[in-house]
Amino acid sequence: MQNSGTQKAGLTLSIAFGAALIIAGMEIPAFAQGGIPEGFKKGELAAPPSAEMIEAGKRVYFTKCVWCHGVDGAGDGPGADRLWPRPRNFNQGTFKIRHTASGELPLFDAKKPIRGQNDLFDTVTHGLPGSAMPPWEGILTEEQRLQVLAFVTTQLVKDRSFTDKQSETQTILNMAELKPKPATEESIKRGSELIVEKKCIECHGLEGRGDGNAFNLKDDWGFSIQPANWHKCWNFRGSRQDPYSVVNIFRTFSTGINGTPMPSFADNTTIDERWDIANFVNSLCERDEEGKPLPIDPLTDKPKINFVIPSNMVEGEIPADIENEAWKNAPRRYVAMGGQITHKPRNFVNRIDDIWVRSLYNDKSIAYLLEWDDRTKSVAEGKLPWAPTEVNIDIQEQEPSTGEGGSIAAKQNNYPVYNDAIAIETPVKWKELPAPIKPRYLFGTNEQFPVDIVKWEADGSIRAFKGTGWDKDFEERDNYEEHLKVLKSEWKNGRWYVMIERPLGNKKDQDYDEDTFFEVGQYIPTVFFAWDGHNGDAGRKMAVSAFYYTFMNPPIPQETYIYPVVIAVGVVFLEGWVLTRRANKKKGKTL
Amino acid sequence: MKALMSLGALVGIVGLLLLAGMIFDIIPSNTIRLVEGYMPMQMLFEVGCYVLGFTGLSYMLNAMGMGIPRFWQGIGFWIFFLLYIKYRVYPPIPFSVRAMYGTVGLVAVLMWVSANEEDWKKFKQPILNVLDAQTGFNKVLRYVYLIALPILTWGFSYNVMMPKSEEPIELRTVHPAPPASTKVHGKTYVLQTSLNPYRVNPEGKYDQEYSNSLIVEQGMGRLMKPNANPWDEKAEGYLKYVREGGEIFFQNCHFCHGDNLNGRGLHAFAFNPIPANFTDPGTIAQLQETFIFWRVAKGGMGLPNEGFPWASVMPPWEQHLTVDEMWKVILFEYWHTGYYPRTWD
Repeated sequence: MQNSGTQKAGLTLSIAFGAALIIAGMEIPAFAQGGIPEGFKKGELAAPPSAEMIEAGKRVYFTKCVWCHGVDGAGDGPGADRLWPRPRNFNQGTFKIRHTASGELPLFDAKKPIRGQNDLFDTVTHGLPGSAMPPWEGILTEEQRLQVLAFVTTQLVKDRSFTDKQSETQTILNMAELKPKPATEESIKRGSELIVEKKCIECHGLEGRGDGNAFNLKDDWGFSIQPANWHKCWNFRGSRQDPYSVVNIFRTFSTGINGTPMPSFADNTTIDERWDIANFVNSLCERDEEGKPLPIDPLTDKPKINFVIPSNMVEGEIPADIENEAWKNAPRRYVAMGGQITHKPRNFVNRIDDIWVRSLYNDKSIAYLLEWDDRTKSVAEGKLPWAPTEVNIDIQEQEPSTGEGGSIAAKQNNYPVYNDAIAIETPVKWKELPAPIKPRYLFGTNEQFPVDIVKWEADGSIRAFKGTGWDKDFEERDNYEEHLKVLKSEWKNGRWYVMIERPLGNKKDQDYDEDTFFEVGQYIPTVFFAWDGHNGDAGRKMAVSAFYYTFMNPPIPQETYIYPVVIAVGVVFLEGWVLTRRANKKKGKTL
Repeated sequence: MKALMSLGALVGIVGLLLLAGMIFDIIPSNTIRLVEGYMPMQMLFEVGCYVLGFTGLSYMLNAMGMGIPRFWQGIGFWIFFLLYIKYRVYPPIPFSVRAMYGTVGLVAVLMWVSANEEDWKKFKQPILNVLDAQTGFNKVLRYVYLIALPILTWGFSYNVMMPKSEEPIELRTVHPAPPASTKVHGKTYVLQTSLNPYRVNPEGKYDQEYSNSLIVEQGMGRLMKPNANPWDEKAEGYLKYVREGGEIFFQNCHFCHGDNLNGRGLHAFAFNPIPANFTDPGTIAQLQETFIFWRVAKGGMGLPNEGFPWASVMPPWEQHLTVDEMWKVILFEYWHTGYYPRTWD
């Protein structure tokens, strides 16, 4: 009995030893080529967390995390099938955002909640922007965040071990000793050359909008995955709520993203080159007119929204050239787009999450310049099976619970392709509605308060509709389309540039009951809809904005110059009166 | 007395250093978190500590012969208050609200400095000194004011008159009056008498006391009670329905209302008004379960005019969910936030 027990133990030991050898053997080539990559240092696995911590973490996990990540941490909770990217499957121990070398486990120490030295803690603290993972700071205490990670790393990571020094190594990017290189013009220029040389553009696209090879990339679980759009740094998963930080880009570039096609570039770039690339990538992120980072809303971690779209006046024709001074001086507005999740078919994954809008007007028309990033130009092949006016079309929404195979993530690269499209919706007869009342923004309230919809599609069509309710088919508007002009529509390197001109509307030529009349100096409620053809978007499956306002800037009235002077003179008189009064009072006189 | 005052002075100095750290972004203002739900009390407590600290500080300075005149004390405290509400409070509060608090703060300071005749005299003395301009310095100051005031008023009024395109302010009623009854999937529910059919004990009887004893614990984290895990396979009655409600929530609602029910879901950033924050004590904690049922079933479209039905993206959930599913989601929302639904009596 005792003998067989020893034998068994011996056997287990030798198997374990053999396994360790094999694993070590697999890892050797990566290091044999160049030892430790430049900028990295050897590290130690942290001590395992205490049993109490793990138990406490289980309580956190089953209150907060289980809903998406699932009972066994396989990323298959009830919420998973309608999410893309899917929630992380912890079982394999594959984690994206790390300071450790490619393929290694991330940094995690249950006793060290220090920013930049505890990757998993940072992920839970700051969330993963652009995915459904929210920042848990302010919701869970530091202690609770460490506890839940203690549970996840020990109980739900099953194929690897955060404590096994035999099988796991830690090669840590030594950020403390790496000082960012100043983002000089020279460094940025060198970076722009390096992204070609290092083939970054093959996936991230010529302008870095993530449009290279957008639909052939898969993650380790076989789900479609798209390269990052460098122009939206607030969506970088590893941005740690600090989107314009070059350090985070440097880190991702150095360590790669485990489980995805993004490799580590530690072995084939020098540190200096990596800073150049990081500086260049950072320089591409959207900025304001003065080149300063966009202000980020701390509640949403996205750019702050200004709901007014000012329209500047131009003399004569509205220029069709984006490079024209008038367009360059027109203020640009960030219009946030969410999925249409009010009515069926709901769009849980909207690939278009913002539009940049500018506007100009002259005495007859108003023009909108709409720019948005879309990784693919989509034009439907053949005729669409429904009429342009049809609203209740046969598009299915994602079922709530399908399992991995039928999940929304699994469908991402095989939707039927429809037209990319954009629409501007404005209320008709908006002056008759006492502010702030507006027609419902999804296709209007009823016959009495309809909306005016101008829709452009990637097949080159521009149409005008009247909408009278979310489930009512659109009505075509008589000969209005003749007055509409598409001044420009171009898809280039992952971005659409569409310029639409429409009449301002007046009682003589247009129909007051169907067309929105634009008036100078008034707030005209405006809504934007966007469809991504490769996302299977059509009908109500689309992205929607909130209510914005088009505001046609009036010329500055004369009073603006006169009254302030009058007031200032008044103040001078007032000062004289106070001083005299005080002087008289002191002399004992009263007025 | 002296020891007590020195302690107060120390508190005051530490407090000021902390605030300075926050202003210059050395200490992020969320280092010491304001806890959602307890924020007003926490802020009052903090300001109270500051006041005590300042009292101590003022006493010590006086004792050392470096007392600050009442005039500067008043102005200093007001500036402190403005900086506090701007830099300490996180998430930041909008300017219009800060302006309101600032005005109230100014009134309070004026009341304080004019509490008795002597203080008031002391307070206005520096102003009169400048007006009288007996010394050279005051003379210079007086001329600076004489010139600067008209220029500033000119600039300010020019700025105000310049046509601007600021978002019009629209005030919306968050909790509009509910109807007496609501018809969902062909059945009429009277709001005063309807009960959540899933708020039941293991025997299947409606039992609010039982369900209230199993909701998550209030306080940081809002974690479930250790012995009340809805994911327990043996969970029955209330807890089982909480899990089912949670499943529906995370298949439908979290996109806007967020993984922590705080209104910061995936799509929330695009919408205006932003989705409701259920962890805020001003939302579901203030309402009856049947009110929530009405709002869930009818969505944004079912709001009366003062609730801005045209702007809300809240779906009329009767289009997507069954009555049972809606009740379960509501059950889950109260469980997860740790609030009790209000009752009618």
